Amino acid sequence: MSNVWIVLKREFMERVKTKSFLLATFLFPLFMIGLNVIPHLVGGEETERHVVVVDEAPPGMAQMVVANLSTPREGRSYKLEVVRKPLAGLQASLRERITRKEIDGYLHLPADVVTSSQVAYRARNVSNLGVMTDVRRAATQAVQETRLRTAGLQSTDVRALLRPVEVSTARVTATGEEGGSALVTFAAAYGMAFLMWLMVFLYGVNVMRSVLEEKTNRIVEVLVSSMKASDLMLGKILGVGLVALLQVAIWGVLIAAGLTLAGQRLKTGGAANVMAGLKLTPVAALTLLSFFVLGFFLYAAVFAAIGAAVTTDQEGQQFQTFAMVPLILPILFFPKVIGDPLGTTATVLGLVPFTAPVANAMRLGSTEIPAAQVIASLVMLALTTVLVVWVAGKIYRFGILSTGKKASLADIGRWMRAA
Amino acid sequence: MNHTLLLEGVSKRYSGHTAVDDLSLAVPPGTIYGILGPNGAGKSTTLRMVMNIIIRDSGRISLLGADPEKDRSVLRRVGFLPEERGLYKKMTVLDVIVFFAQIKGVEAKTARAEAARWLERMSLGDWRGAKVETLSKGMQQKVQFIATVIHQPELLILDEPQSGLDPVNQEVLRDTILQHRKDGKTVIFSTHNMEQAEQLCEHVCIIAQGRKVLDGRLRDVRRENMGNAYRVQFDGESPAAEALMAAGRFGAATREGEEWRLELAPGTDTRALLAALNDLDAPLVRFQREEPSLHDIFVSRVAGAAQTRRVEVAHV
Repeated sequence: MSNVWIVLKREFMERVKTKSFLLATFLFPLFMIGLNVIPHLVGGEETERHVVVVDEAPPGMAQMVVANLSTPREGRSYKLEVVRKPLAGLQASLRERITRKEIDGYLHLPADVVTSSQVAYRARNVSNLGVMTDVRRAATQAVQETRLRTAGLQSTDVRALLRPVEVSTARVTATGEEGGSALVTFAAAYGMAFLMWLMVFLYGVNVMRSVLEEKTNRIVEVLVSSMKASDLMLGKILGVGLVALLQVAIWGVLIAAGLTLAGQRLKTGGAANVMAGLKLTPVAALTLLSFFVLGFFLYAAVFAAIGAAVTTDQEGQQFQTFAMVPLILPILFFPKVIGDPLGTTATVLGLVPFTAPVANAMRLGSTEIPAAQVIASLVMLALTTVLVVWVAGKIYRFGILSTGKKASLADIGRWMRAA
Repeated sequence: MNHTLLLEGVSKRYSGHTAVDDLSLAVPPGTIYGILGPNGAGKSTTLRMVMNIIIRDSGRISLLGADPEKDRSVLRRVGFLPEERGLYKKMTVLDVIVFFAQIKGVEAKTARAEAARWLERMSLGDWRGAKVETLSKGMQQKVQFIATVIHQPELLILDEPQSGLDPVNQEVLRDTILQHRKDGKTVIFSTHNMEQAEQLCEHVCIIAQGRKVLDGRLRDVRRENMGNAYRVQFDGESPAAEALMAAGRFGAATREGEEWRLELAPGTDTRALLAALNDLDAPLVRFQREEPSLHDIFVSRVAGAAQTRRVEVAHV
């Protein structure tokens, strides 16, 4: 049996057997399902907002706003109360009603709203983007309708003319299939970047600790006299990596099952809905998975190298952050990559091994990457991973070989062969 | 002669000092070989170079007929107990032993059976499923020792094996070393404990400050370093004997309790001395040439090396 396999098995078994692994594996999906389901459960009452419309605007406008807001959108609905008095006299009592939680907020339509294009929405909570969109749409339509009517257009025509256009997004692929809304692909790219970051962070540090443990526990002397340091590193990275992949797989199955179950109860469609939204072709899904797995192993190898180079946990933590930078980099270029997924920036980020996993996840979400690029990128990623593992082994071995001695070139040559 | 281990002119320099300086030694097969020396003499550095943990600057090493730097596989036939011990603390006793056996090429199944046998023998049978961190230090030492010998190596290299062991476990270690010797295997160990070396070794090599002071069969080393002092004792008090000793005819004598220590003058014939002693009125009960202990040899030979080092030796 090869040493890589023996080390791999030890690292894998020792981790899978721990209580913390079991806890993390089964609590995280519960947490994620909770995050998705709880808003649906408590959502019913919360979405009706009680809003007072303070109307100083020309006659009819408040009614138009009320009519517009009364149509429920994406589960949000409003209970509206129109007061035709100047705001100055009402402000104090409105504020008091908001603090008493009698109403959620008030919308002020000033007298000059048609010319100034300004309305004011004051509420306990103004961070809900959906509400802001609703208010803006209602006010805009009322103002535009009024302007057009002043210009002499008939009211029935006006409403028809102002009907907002809904944009449906879909991708055109080589096989002619359509699918993947912009929002879902954005979310998939971000989700993948986040998951990768999380796993690299959790398990990369794990690899680093494992390397350090052997150095501080003095097991290293027995290990290096029994096997090549690069075999040790490779075994470690694969062992810890498989634990991470196992965890992600269990998470995936549990979350999907949980969401589907909850979805049937709540009639939200659950996981099936999310999956249908992604509409990735099998090839694209496989490519995505390959980038994830290889990307994870590459970063695990980087962390192994850090563990080999440092002597304490604290020292290692200082390097950790730097190692994470290339992983986050594509996120900074997100608009550029998404905007032109086959452009220079996107292509370069997609080919450089350290940025390829996340960059290509984004690109895959928005377009089809040429097969040659995908293959080139995957091959380079795999080769870089092997190279980093090898370098990590050398660093590890050098650290033991070179204690306190300045190395000459000839020494380094011999060490390279010995390590 | 085919040596188990052969070092020729091996050196290792660190910035500032030379850890091992032009060291040559030969370990014949089937013996217990002791590398003796004060702390910092270069014992561990030497053994680490043999195990290819650190790389020598110059010289030749032949381990079981191969150079470990070029042929790593030869190291699988060696059991190495490093000076600084360590095990995976979170693993169970059985798992950790099986792991070390596997990296030396033993099949998992065989390793498990062997490990169980060894644990029984070391009276750790009830602990096989326990985590290493729950064991006492002495028990962890035993586990590490089992991990060193589990793959039935032809050669055992033990760096300061007895350090940290209580007397009972030192006895266990001694028995195991002797058992290996009986099985026709070779054992090399380093120590600064001369009494222990004296009990176990057939061959010794004393090093100080990275250089070899002496080496060879313990018997020969003793003979070569034999002085010319004799122990003389009579049954009961005898003024005539006192007078003879005080006269100093055969050499300087000092009274040590019931007996005399007589440092024979050069050229003295022991037969003449015995004849003179026989003529006395008290019966002679002891006449023995003084054998130097390894400790005496060590102190007298290493004395020149460094004053500070001798202080350390005095504590053992």
